[in-house]
Amino acid sequence: MMTDWNAMSDADFRKEVRGFFEAEYPEELRNLPHRPKFAEIAHWHRKLHAKGWVAPAWPAEYGGMGLNAAKLLIFYEEQQRWGVNRGRDMGVQMVGPLIIKFGTQEQKDYWLPRILSCEDIWCQGYSEPGAGSDLANLRTRAEIDGDDFVINGQKIWTTMAHDATHIFMLVRTDPDAPKKQQGISFLLAPMDQSGVEVRTITTLSGETEFCEVFFDNARTPRENLVGELNKGWTMAKALLSFERIFIGSPSLAQNALGQLESFARGRGAFDDPVFRDRFAQAALDVEDHAALYARFADQLKRGETLGADVSMLKIWVTECFQRITELMIEAAGPDGGTIGPLQVGNVGVDVLSSFYKARPGTIYGGSNEIQRNILSKAVLGLPG
Amino acid sequence: MLRESARTLFERAGGSGRSRKLRDSGGGWDADMIHELAEAGVFGVTVPEENGGLGMGLAAGGVIAEEVGRVIAPEPVVVTVGLSLGLLRRLCPDHAKLEQLVGGETVLAVAWQERGPNGGPAEASCRYADGKLTGGKAWVVGASGAQGFLVVAQGDAGPVLVLAQAGADGLSVEARRQADGSAMGELSFSGTPAERLASGDTVQDALADAVSDTTALAAAELVGLSARAFEITLEYIKTREQFDKPIGSFQVIQHRAVDLNVMCEVAQSGVREALGLMDGEADPKVRARLASRAKARAVTAAKKITRDAIQLHGAVGYTDEFDIGLYLNRALVLSAWLGDDAYHRRLWFMAREAEGAA
Ligand SMILES: Cc1cc2nc3c(=O)[nH]c(=O)nc-3n(C[C@H](O)[C@H](O)[C@H](O)COP(=O)(O)OP(=O)(O)OC[C@H]3O[C@@H](n4cnc5c(N)ncnc54)[C@H](O)[C@@H]3O)c2cc1C
Repeated sequence: MMTDWNAMSDADFRKEVRGFFEAEYPEELRNLPHRPKFAEIAHWHRKLHAKGWVAPAWPAEYGGMGLNAAKLLIFYEEQQRWGVNRGRDMGVQMVGPLIIKFGTQEQKDYWLPRILSCEDIWCQGYSEPGAGSDLANLRTRAEIDGDDFVINGQKIWTTMAHDATHIFMLVRTDPDAPKKQQGISFLLAPMDQSGVEVRTITTLSGETEFCEVFFDNARTPRENLVGELNKGWTMAKALLSFERIFIGSPSLAQNALGQLESFARGRGAFDDPVFRDRFAQAALDVEDHAALYARFADQLKRGETLGADVSMLKIWVTECFQRITELMIEAAGPDGGTIGPLQVGNVGVDVLSSFYKARPGTIYGGSNEIQRNILSKAVLGLPG
Repeated sequence: MLRESARTLFERAGGSGRSRKLRDSGGGWDADMIHELAEAGVFGVTVPEENGGLGMGLAAGGVIAEEVGRVIAPEPVVVTVGLSLGLLRRLCPDHAKLEQLVGGETVLAVAWQERGPNGGPAEASCRYADGKLTGGKAWVVGASGAQGFLVVAQGDAGPVLVLAQAGADGLSVEARRQADGSAMGELSFSGTPAERLASGDTVQDALADAVSDTTALAAAELVGLSARAFEITLEYIKTREQFDKPIGSFQVIQHRAVDLNVMCEVAQSGVREALGLMDGEADPKVRARLASRAKARAVTAAKKITRDAIQLHGAVGYTDEFDIGLYLNRALVLSAWLGDDAYHRRLWFMAREAEGAA
C-alpha cells in the first residue's frame, strides 16, 4: 500500500519525517562540512531507499513520494534541520525530472530505478570553459555514428564528476544552426570508458568538489538522447526554473542562522548591541524570505507554472546566506581565520566551512548578476 | 625608494607564486627570504639607528607592509616590526635579541592574549614565578617557526616580559591551521623556564603601544593585499569573454569595479594618513584610536574587495588554481587577527568619547 503523504496534516507529516531522520540518520553524518563521496553515505542511502524516500518530489508511480509543494517544503526543512546530507542527488533532482518529463517509456523504465538505488550516480555536464553564464555558447560536439553518438570536447566545474558513473550533458549536435540556442541536445553518457577523462579541481577551501571532464571520441548509444534532437535548450530551460526554486529555498540560510545563533550565544557575541542588531536583521531577512518563498510554493501547489520572478528568491537567499556566514566569522573574533570546528560549550561549529559553502551560491545556477538581468527585463519590463 | 626596493625584492623572489609554494609545502616561511629582508633593512625600519635600525617611522613600516600584502608573503614582517621589535626596542633595546631580530638571525613570536572558557578572549592569568611560566596563551602568530617566545605574564609584582625558548621544558605548542595555510599557536606552559626581560607597568604600556603599531601595520598589509586583488580582478574582467564580449563591458560589472577601486583608494589614503599621524603622536590613547581607524577601514575594504573579486571571477574564483582565492584566504586571516572592522569601530568610538570627555 502506497502512503498518500499529501492526505496527512502538515503537522503529522512533519512529525513522521522528523521521527525518521532523528531515529535513523547516522550521527556521524550530521552537518557534514564537505560534499561526501557516495561510499561515505551509502549506508544512509540504503535506509532511505528501503523506506522509499529517495525522491520526495517524484510522482509515486515512478517510485517517488509524490509530495506536493507544501509537503516537499516540510521534508526539506526537516532534512536541513537535522543536518541530513542531500546525498548524491543530481540524479534525483535533475536527471529524474528530465526523464519523467521528456523521456520515453523505455528510458523511464531503465533509468529511474537505477537513480533511486544509486546504482547510477550522476553529474551535470553543462558548463564549459567558454560557456558559463553564456551557456548557449557550448561547443562540445556529439555526432551520430551508426548506433552511437560520438562526443568530443570539454566540460568544466562538473560537481563530483570524479565520483559519478554517468553524466547528463548538453552537447552541440547541429553546429550550423542559425542561432546558438538551436542545435543543442540533451545526452546521457556513461563515464566509465576510455574516451572520458576526469581531472579534479581543488576549491579555494582545499576540497576536491568539482572537475574538468574531457571527451575524446567518447561514445553513448543513440537511445541515450533525451527528447528531440536539437531541442535540448528548451528542455534545459524548463529544468532551470525548477532548479531556481530549489536554490531559492530558505533551508540553507535557516540552517546557517541556527548555527550562528548558538555559536554567537556561546561566544557571548550577543552582549554587544550592534551584533544583536545585525543578528536580528539576518533573522528577519530569513523569516521574510520564507514568506516570499511560500508565495511561490503556493503557486506551485495551485498547479501554476512559475514565472521569471522566481529569480528573486535565489538572489535574496544566497546573499542572505553569505551575510549570515560573515556574521559567524565576526562572532568568531580572533578565531575567524581558523580552519575546522571552533569549540563553544561542548559542540564544535565550523565557521570557515560555512563561509566557504555560502560563496558559490551567487555564482552557480545562473549567477546573481544574470538573475538581476532576467528580473530587470522579464519582470520590470526595462528596455535593452 | 623603500617601496621600490621591497617590491623588487619580493617580485624577484617569485611574487605570489612563491607564497603559494610555501603554503603548499606546509605553511611557514622561507629562511633565505628572512635574511634578504634583513639585509634590506626591513625588520629594523622603526628601530633607532643607534640600535642598528633605519630609525624611520611607522609610515615607512606601512610602506613595507603594503608590499608584503601585495604578494601575500608569509614571512612575519609585521609581527617582527610591530610586536617583537616593538616590545624590545621600548623595553630592553640593549638585549642581544634585538640585534638578532634586526639582522634576521632569529624570529620570535609574541604571546599575550588568553582564551577563556567560552572560547573567546579572557583576562590574562598566565603566571611567572621563580623563573618559570605556568598557564597558557592563545592566538600566537608565527608560533610554529619561531625560535623563541616573548611572553607577557603576571609576575609577583606586576606584569613581566619574559623570553622562553622554543622547545623549552614544559612548553607545548598546538598549531591551529589558518585559512591561508599558516598556523596560529596555542601555548601551554607548565613550569617552563623563561628569562625575564622587563617588569612593571612599563611592560603593559609598551605592549599597548606595540599592539597599536602592529594593528596599523596589519591594516597597511591589508591595503596592499586589496590593491593587488583589485588589479588581478580588473585584468580578469577585461579579458574574460561571455556573450561575445569581455564581461567588463557590462555596465553592472563596470560599476562594481569602480566601487571597488574607490574603496581601495579610500582605504589606502585613510590608512597611510593614520600611520603618518601615529608617527607624530606621543599619547598612546590617540595612537590606539588612529590604529583602530586604520584597521577598521582596511578590514572593511579587504573583505568587500576579495569577496567581490571571487564573484566577478565566477567559478574560477572558487578554485585554488587562481591566485584570487589566496587573497581571499589571507584577508580572512589578517582581518581576524588583532580585531576586525566591527571591533575596531567600537574601540574607535570609545576612544573618541574618552578624548572628548577629557
Ligand atoms: C561550486 C560550483 C559548482 C558548480 N557545479 C556545476 C556542475 O555540476 N555542472 C555544471 O555544468 N556547472 C557547474 N558550475 C558552473 C556554474 O554553472 C558556472 O560557474 C556559472 O554558470 C557561471 O559561469 P562562469 O563561472 O564561467 O562565470 P562567467 O560567466 O565567466 O561570469 C563571471 C562574472 O561575470 C558576470 N557576468 C557574466 N555575464 C554577465 C552579464 N551578461 N551581465 C552581468 N554580469 C555578467 C557573472 O555574474 C560573474 O560575476 C558550478 C560552479 C560552482 C562555483
